[in-house]
Amino acid sequence: MTETHQQLQSIHAMLAAGHRSVHLEKHSLLLIGGVGGLIAAMTEYLITADYFPDTTQQAVALLVWLSFWLGGMAIVDFKLTHRARQQRDETLPFAQAQMTRAWWMLLSMGTLGSFAMFFYGGGGMIYALWIVLLGLGIYLFGLFSRLLVEWIGLATILLGVTGLAAGLPYGATHWLAASCFAIGMPLAGWLSARYGNTGLTGRVLALLCWITLVVAPPLLITQAKWAAASGPDTSPLSLKAPGLRQGEKVLRLAPDTPIALRLDLESPVLTADPQATLLMKLTSPLDVVLVDGKPDGRYRIAEGEWHAIGEGVLDLMIDRVTPQLENDTPAVRAHAIFGKKFIQKEAP
Amino acid sequence: MSDILHSPLPSLDPLLHQPIRTQIVAYLSGRGEATFSEMKRALEITDGNLGAHLNKLTEASFVETRNTTEGARAQTVFVLTESGRNALNHYVTQLSKLMQLSATGQTLSITTASLNLKESL
Repeated sequence: MTETHQQLQSIHAMLAAGHRSVHLEKHSLLLIGGVGGLIAAMTEYLITADYFPDTTQQAVALLVWLSFWLGGMAIVDFKLTHRARQQRDETLPFAQAQMTRAWWMLLSMGTLGSFAMFFYGGGGMIYALWIVLLGLGIYLFGLFSRLLVEWIGLATILLGVTGLAAGLPYGATHWLAASCFAIGMPLAGWLSARYGNTGLTGRVLALLCWITLVVAPPLLITQAKWAAASGPDTSPLSLKAPGLRQGEKVLRLAPDTPIALRLDLESPVLTADPQATLLMKLTSPLDVVLVDGKPDGRYRIAEGEWHAIGEGVLDLMIDRVTPQLENDTPAVRAHAIFGKKFIQKEAP
Repeated sequence: MSDILHSPLPSLDPLLHQPIRTQIVAYLSGRGEATFSEMKRALEITDGNLGAHLNKLTEASFVETRNTTEGARAQTVFVLTESGRNALNHYVTQLSKLMQLSATGQTLSITTASLNLKESL
C-alpha cells in the first residue's frame, strides 16, 4: 500500500470518526429506559375506566401522564447531558443536537398517537407502535454513532412489526414494550461501549445477546401469566346449580346458551338504551371462573387452556360500518370480529 | 491514461501534508467542532503534540477557536474555517490524482516529488 493510499485512508477514518461522534450518555439510556419502561408497565393499571370512566377523561389523563414523565425526563436529560459534556470538556456535536430533536419529535408523536387512539381507535396496536417509534429513534442515533446501535434500532423496529404481524396478544406486546425500554436501552449502551467497535462476528453476537435478553422477559412474563390463569380444580357447575355464587367456582355455559351483548355507546350522533341487547348464542362450551358469583376474568373455551381476559386473546374489533336503509328504516350494519386471536392461537 | 501521464504532478499543501494535521482537519470537518480533549482522545496523541499542530493550523487560518461560557465552566472549541475545509477538499483531490498516477506505474516517490514541485512553484 502506498503512502498516498494510507494518507487517504487515514483521512476517511478521521472523517468517519467525526461523523460518527454521536453517542447517548449513560444517564440518557437509564433515564429513557427507566421512564419508558415505567410508563409501558404501569399505564395499563393506572389509566383505567375505573379511575376515569369517561373516554375523554381517560384520554386527557393519559396525555397528562405521558407528558409529565416524558417532558420531565427531557428536561432532566438535557441538563445532565450538558453538565456531563462540560465536565469532560466535550462539545455536543451538531449531528447529535439535531438527532436529539428528532428523538423527542418521535416520542411526542407517540404521545399524541396514544391520545388520539381514544378517539380514532387502533388501541390494540399502541404498544407495537411505541416499540417501532423507539426503534426508529435508536436507529437514527445509530446512523451517527456505532454500527451496533444502528442494528439494535433496526432489531427494535422489527420486534414491533413482527409482534404485530404475528398477532402477538396485547398483553405480550405491553410487556415487550416495557422490556424494549427498560432493558433494551441501557443494554444497548452497555453493549455498544464494549462491543461497538469489534469485528462483524462480535457485533452479530452482541446483537443476538441484546435480542435474547430483551425478548426473553416479556415471553416469560406472558407465559407465567397464562400459566397462572388456571381455573380452580373443581367440577364445572351449571347456571342453576346450588352454591354457584359462593366462593370460587367454575360456571360451565353449554353451546346454544344465549349471551347478551350490551353496548355502552358513546357518540355525538347516536344514543342507545344501555339495556338494549344484542342476543348471541355460544357455539362452544365456555367455562368461566366466578368468585362469589362474579366473573373474575378467567375463562376457557371448549375445555382448552385457561386465559385471563386482560391478555387480549379475546377482543372485539369493529372493522367496518355500513349505513343502510332497511324497509324505509335507517340502519347501521357493523362488521365485528370477536376472538380472532383466540382462533389463530388455538386452531390446530 | 496518456492525459494523466503527461499532466504535471499534482501539488500537495505542505501544511496539510503531515499525518496528524490532516487527521485534525478531517476530524473537525466530520464533527463540526471539537474541544482539545476530544481531539486528543480521537487522535491518541500527547497534549504538546496536538497543541503544536493546532497552533500551525490556527496561524494558517485553517482552524479558529471559539470560547463558550455556557454553564459554570468556560470551554475553548476548535472549529474548521471555510479556507480549512477548502484546503482539505483540495488536498484530497490532489491525493486522489496521485493515486491514479501511482496506478499507472510511474516509478517515483510521489509525495516527495509532488511536494518539491509545490515548493518550486
